[in-house]
Amino acid sequence: MTALPDTAYHHQSDAVQARFARIKARDVALRVQGLGKVFRTPKGGETIALRGIDIETHRREFLCVVGPSGCGKSTFVRILAGLETASSGTVFVDGQPVNGPGADRGMVFQGYTLFPWLSVLRNVMFGLEENGESRRTAAREAREWLSLVGLEFFADSYPHQLSGGMKQRVAIARALATRPRILLMDEPFSALDAQSRARMQAYLIEIWKKIDITIVFITHDLDEAVFLADRILVLSAHPGEIAELIEVPVSRPRSQGQMLEREFRATRARLDALIHPPDDEDDVKPAAIKPSIVTRLVAHGDEVE
Amino acid sequence: MGGIASSTPTEAPRPPIADAFGMSPMRRKRRSWFGVPKPLGRRNALSLTILSFILPLLAWSAVSYVPFLWHPLIQVSDPGAVDYLQPGMRVDRETFATEVAAAKEAGTAPPQGIPSNPVYLPAPHEVAAAFWTAITTRPTFGDAIPLPQSLWHSIQIIFWGFTISSILGVPLGVFCGTSPVFARIVEPFIEFVRYMPAPAFGALMVAILGIYDGPKIAIIIIGTFFQQVLVIANTTRRVDGMLIEAALTLGARNLRLVRRVIVPAVLPQLYRDQRILLGWAWTYLIVAELIGTSSGITFFITQQARYQHFENVYAAILIIGIVGSATDIVLALIGRRLFPWAKEEA
Amino acid sequence: MRFPAIIAKSLTVSARCLRVASLSAAPLFMPLSMGAAHAADAPLHIGYSDWPGWVAMQVAIDKGWFKDAGVDVKFEWFDYSASMDAYSAGKIDADLVTNGDALVMGGNGAKSVMIMLTDYSNGNDIIVGKAGTKGLKDLKGKKVGIEVGLVEHLLLIDGLTKAKMKETDVTLVNAKTNETPQVLASGDVAAAGAWQPVAGQAMKGAPGAHPLYTSAQAPGLIYDVLAVSPTSLNARKADWAKVLTVWDKTVAYIDDPKTQPDAVKIMAAKSGVPPEEYVKYLKGTKLLSVADARKVMVDKDGLGSLYGSSRNADAFNVKNSVYKTAQDVKSYIDPSLTNGK
Repeated sequence: MTALPDTAYHHQSDAVQARFARIKARDVALRVQGLGKVFRTPKGGETIALRGIDIETHRREFLCVVGPSGCGKSTFVRILAGLETASSGTVFVDGQPVNGPGADRGMVFQGYTLFPWLSVLRNVMFGLEENGESRRTAAREAREWLSLVGLEFFADSYPHQLSGGMKQRVAIARALATRPRILLMDEPFSALDAQSRARMQAYLIEIWKKIDITIVFITHDLDEAVFLADRILVLSAHPGEIAELIEVPVSRPRSQGQMLEREFRATRARLDALIHPPDDEDDVKPAAIKPSIVTRLVAHGDEVE
Repeated sequence: MGGIASSTPTEAPRPPIADAFGMSPMRRKRRSWFGVPKPLGRRNALSLTILSFILPLLAWSAVSYVPFLWHPLIQVSDPGAVDYLQPGMRVDRETFATEVAAAKEAGTAPPQGIPSNPVYLPAPHEVAAAFWTAITTRPTFGDAIPLPQSLWHSIQIIFWGFTISSILGVPLGVFCGTSPVFARIVEPFIEFVRYMPAPAFGALMVAILGIYDGPKIAIIIIGTFFQQVLVIANTTRRVDGMLIEAALTLGARNLRLVRRVIVPAVLPQLYRDQRILLGWAWTYLIVAELIGTSSGITFFITQQARYQHFENVYAAILIIGIVGSATDIVLALIGRRLFPWAKEEA
Repeated sequence: MRFPAIIAKSLTVSARCLRVASLSAAPLFMPLSMGAAHAADAPLHIGYSDWPGWVAMQVAIDKGWFKDAGVDVKFEWFDYSASMDAYSAGKIDADLVTNGDALVMGGNGAKSVMIMLTDYSNGNDIIVGKAGTKGLKDLKGKKVGIEVGLVEHLLLIDGLTKAKMKETDVTLVNAKTNETPQVLASGDVAAAGAWQPVAGQAMKGAPGAHPLYTSAQAPGLIYDVLAVSPTSLNARKADWAKVLTVWDKTVAYIDDPKTQPDAVKIMAAKSGVPPEEYVKYLKGTKLLSVADARKVMVDKDGLGSLYGSSRNADAFNVKNSVYKTAQDVKSYIDPSLTNGK
């Protein structure tokens, strides 16, 4: 690891430094202490999915979680949501230990989890009604949330009539409607095409700016992580442990154009180094030129590269 | 395959070295009939549907009308001098040949006959005629019941049997599917009972429910209910877990979770299960209608089979088939309206 | 041998296997359900099924003769075995059954009294011998395909006794009656027992096969009777007497060549077959008027008597474990109404 010469991502501009100081001055919204998760295999063995995770995020922080496949990032966010129980350690939200799913944490899933039998409006109303709001209040609030995600004109549509990006915007509105402290997002844009994903990232940041919410965002797209996050929690695999907690030096407000900036590239390079170490890559040797039944030879001068 | 040896300078230009190893590009078009199903065009689908009925009908007609196809028997038209043969009787080909040979040898009149199929396989036109007679003829005597009324009676038996079974079985199945504890208490016993043949309860049902429609409906219920609980439970278990998790994070719990999420989520599949189960209910009708006083279309079948009037038997079977598939088509159309988001399921 | 004769018979007999199992549970429920049907003003519920001797009742029903005679009856149309289930469960007051089956129902807890005869089987149960066998005597030491415990078994024993042979003189091969045509055609057995139309098929399938012994040679082996619940008979004896009067009128109407076509039309419609076909089935059944029955309802041995025939059936039933203890045949027969007392 230390072999990597580029530590440029450590360098933060004054504005960025001031911003981090401001964030750290806010209350701790989420505290994870000594979190571990062990799965039992059917044969009686054990797999350690997560070990010794300690992290604090502050109110209105945007935390991304990245890591190689199998690092337990999904398990991590599911434990935060209360959908799975930790084998050890505790999760605190606003100082209160978490026990099962709760309205203080909203969740947006990777797949489309809108209820297909309900209209868009009724989907957003769902959580409000479950938490005791009258139908009328729920409908009024739901409309506001829909306009926040720009879908007020689709209130009476049904999920199967919407595009993937629109569905996820409804899902975000639905998760936010119950006014959670933390919004958990488990690779919410990974099923979308590149353009929609970029648009959704921008939307998400706009929403995040407007309301008081702390976001924990799981992704395997490293550019996405750098683009969105204040800090990036990098997990290693087998077992899932904290490899590094990176403070993203890219200034805000963010735009797609910043991807060419030095801070962005440096952070991205660091993530690459952490997640795809060079010795991990397959050695690709040029294929030996040998007549074989599957080789279709091409004429001299007809090469593509 | 063409190699270098076969290529001549006059041939059309081709990739320079493509055939250096005696290979030619695989250009032969091979159509694959199997693969990931793609929707057929409306027209194609319709003509294939028609074909699926025409083909069996053609096979049936061929076996019935082409004398050298099957026809294992000879229908005697003139017994000749053979004492035990009678006009109209169907005899093995071999027996018939033996008798003809014997008669020739003895110089007596040989029997005559035409190739025929067993009485169990009437020809299409015979069944068609029986079908028409069955649905149009009014019986002239007393309390004999015309076929349409018998059918209506049968449909009512099915309706009540299936409805009562569903009122009990669907909720029970849903609870088994959503609560492992509940499932453990209920399902082993139901698994055990479902192997018991429903008809065996016939006499008991008569003793409890009398001789009219009660025991018949009960047999339909016994035949349907236990399967129903298990099928519905399994369907419910296959509910998309993500939807439940989403609902949990939104605060839904327990009965509200079942009512507002699990049931709506499985409803399209549940509806389809019910359509299949309704078909099963029909299969119990034939036993149900032999219990208590005789009634309904399957009693008609039983009685006609006893007298070897198989054209009537097939006509009645045909009627059941038509009623059954018509019901199913109607239910499918309703399902498509009810569950527009789950077209492929409903 | 005339081919298809009485197909309905197949049901009468094939019901026997099922019955033993289903009846055993029924008596448990009798106390629950008995009684309602015996109220003095309620109609008499009588079960009948598809057998010419019983379908004959349809003539009287359609003509309204029961009403004319001043007796309120309600006939319930059953599958044969279902009718016995209903009787055993106490859901009907009387059932039209064979005398042997009346004993079987009683032996398993649902006692009845035979007050009237309708008919007897007249040639439809047949022991078929393959070509070359001339009589039952030729079967000595040979194999005979038969469904053990059913009517053909009874018929074979009767025939063998008449031929001065014992059951052990032949080897019985247990075969389903419906499969006897194949069994006989296979050549493994010298003879097979079956009822019509199976017997006809058996003879067609094996060239030269012919009847060795039929129920026409043992008239009275099986009688068909009206079996009434003792309670109902006791309470409504006058009404049951009227039923007999109507029956007598019905037999006369069916037997009279002038009115027979009309009767056959009614009966054929009930059975769902064309009248011309039904005539054949009717021929295989000897209907018994009350006067005919009077001669049969005399207590003596031999198949000429309902008593003798029933004792024979009783012994057969016990031997084949249809029920365990021999029945008191006398208590099953009440000839008083037939005798006009």
